[in-house]
Amino acid sequence: MFLSVGVRFEANVEALNMVETAGNYSKHRRVPYLVEEDGKLKTVYVPALSGESLAHAYQEHLVREALGLGLSVCDDCRRNEFYKSMNKVHLKKKVNPIPDDPRDIEIAIVRSCVVEDVGGFLYAEKPPVRRSSAFQVSYALPVKSVALFATSEPQLHARHAQMDTSSKKGNASEQMIYYVETGTALYGFTFNLDLDAIGVSAITSEPILDENELKIRREAAMRALFRMLSSAQFGAKLSRFFPVGGITEVAVAVTEHPFVVTSPIYDDYIARTERRLKVLEGLGENYLFTVATGEKVPEEALKEAVDYLREQGAF
Amino acid sequence: MSEYEGIVKMLRFFVQMKNFGYVDRIGNALNPEPVEVTLHEALRAFRSVRESAPVDESGRRYVEKDGKKIPVPGIPTEEEIRTFLDDVRSDIGVAKRVATLALAYPSKKESGGDE
Ligand SMILES: [Zn+2]
Repeated sequence: MFLSVGVRFEANVEALNMVETAGNYSKHRRVPYLVEEDGKLKTVYVPALSGESLAHAYQEHLVREALGLGLSVCDDCRRNEFYKSMNKVHLKKKVNPIPDDPRDIEIAIVRSCVVEDVGGFLYAEKPPVRRSSAFQVSYALPVKSVALFATSEPQLHARHAQMDTSSKKGNASEQMIYYVETGTALYGFTFNLDLDAIGVSAITSEPILDENELKIRREAAMRALFRMLSSAQFGAKLSRFFPVGGITEVAVAVTEHPFVVTSPIYDDYIARTERRLKVLEGLGENYLFTVATGEKVPEEALKEAVDYLREQGAF
Repeated sequence: MSEYEGIVKMLRFFVQMKNFGYVDRIGNALNPEPVEVTLHEALRAFRSVRESAPVDESGRRYVEKDGKKIPVPGIPTEEEIRTFLDDVRSDIGVAKRVATLALAYPSKKESGGDE
């Protein structure tokens, strides 16, 4: 089974993805965007969140959900340090001595860590072993039709240091001013999850785990997504720049084989996704498509997808 | 290209700081907008860095990176920026040449720091 979710969320004054600090200025990630204005195309720079940042958040939720379900997560991933068995030092914590056969290396890693099973890894030694992530996530970008209203603006803040006059010397300052560039936009992103890839070898396509363990891992992967969206715990600087706003729409498609919802940056993405699914249905593929706009809340749509997956025997 | 010396020096400073973002974006730009936006961002960052940079005995500003002292050049003049942006509008190749120069080793010993 394959799950694809289109998410639209409104975020006002967020600092979810900062890219660099120069002096006292910390910058929001921005990307060039092609928009049409008065029949002419132009490039504008809009605030954005990287897929890497969203993926990191998802994997943090996956750690928690997996541990909650009593599944194995390696020590590195438990600390949300996703080294992903990148070298001998990290792999030895899972399997020692390290096997020679790439297949055995993959089996050892997948068995001992749900995060590397679902999120993939790259062991860059001899022999190199690579496993693609079972989930995919796009950048979050402003919705096309309103991209020109997206803004990134520096906010001035001051950090104070208390000093009595006796200890004040030279030009030591009592307050430091700094700027945090914040973004405001209606964002859209896509999240895909290939449930059939979980617990299955990327080298031999054979299951590495028994059916029962596979089901619990798939459920953990779904729960992590649910939790991430429901809690809005993704991105940086949440402690002081928790975005004002929230999820405005989700569109969830569950199909037998890979199918990706039309990107939510387009205003007609729900209608287009539906039409595309109808065509697939004509080719004999079963699916579930549910959206939360207006009346329904995102959690309700996601719950429907979870129930459907359970009915279909995914977990 | 000597008319854009200030911009080249500023971009070269970022390269020495292992921050290739600005020079890459200017060098890879296919149209003038990204050059203008990137130059704005680079100047903004450069001013922030420069203002907080310490001054050495000879009065030059520098930044320490991996134990090495990297001199902070002067801020490009308004006139130079204006000419550069005008030239980029008529020929985007100008941006690529400036970025390429910034990536090269300077031909003569640069004074760096404050003039
Ligand atoms: Zn792990």
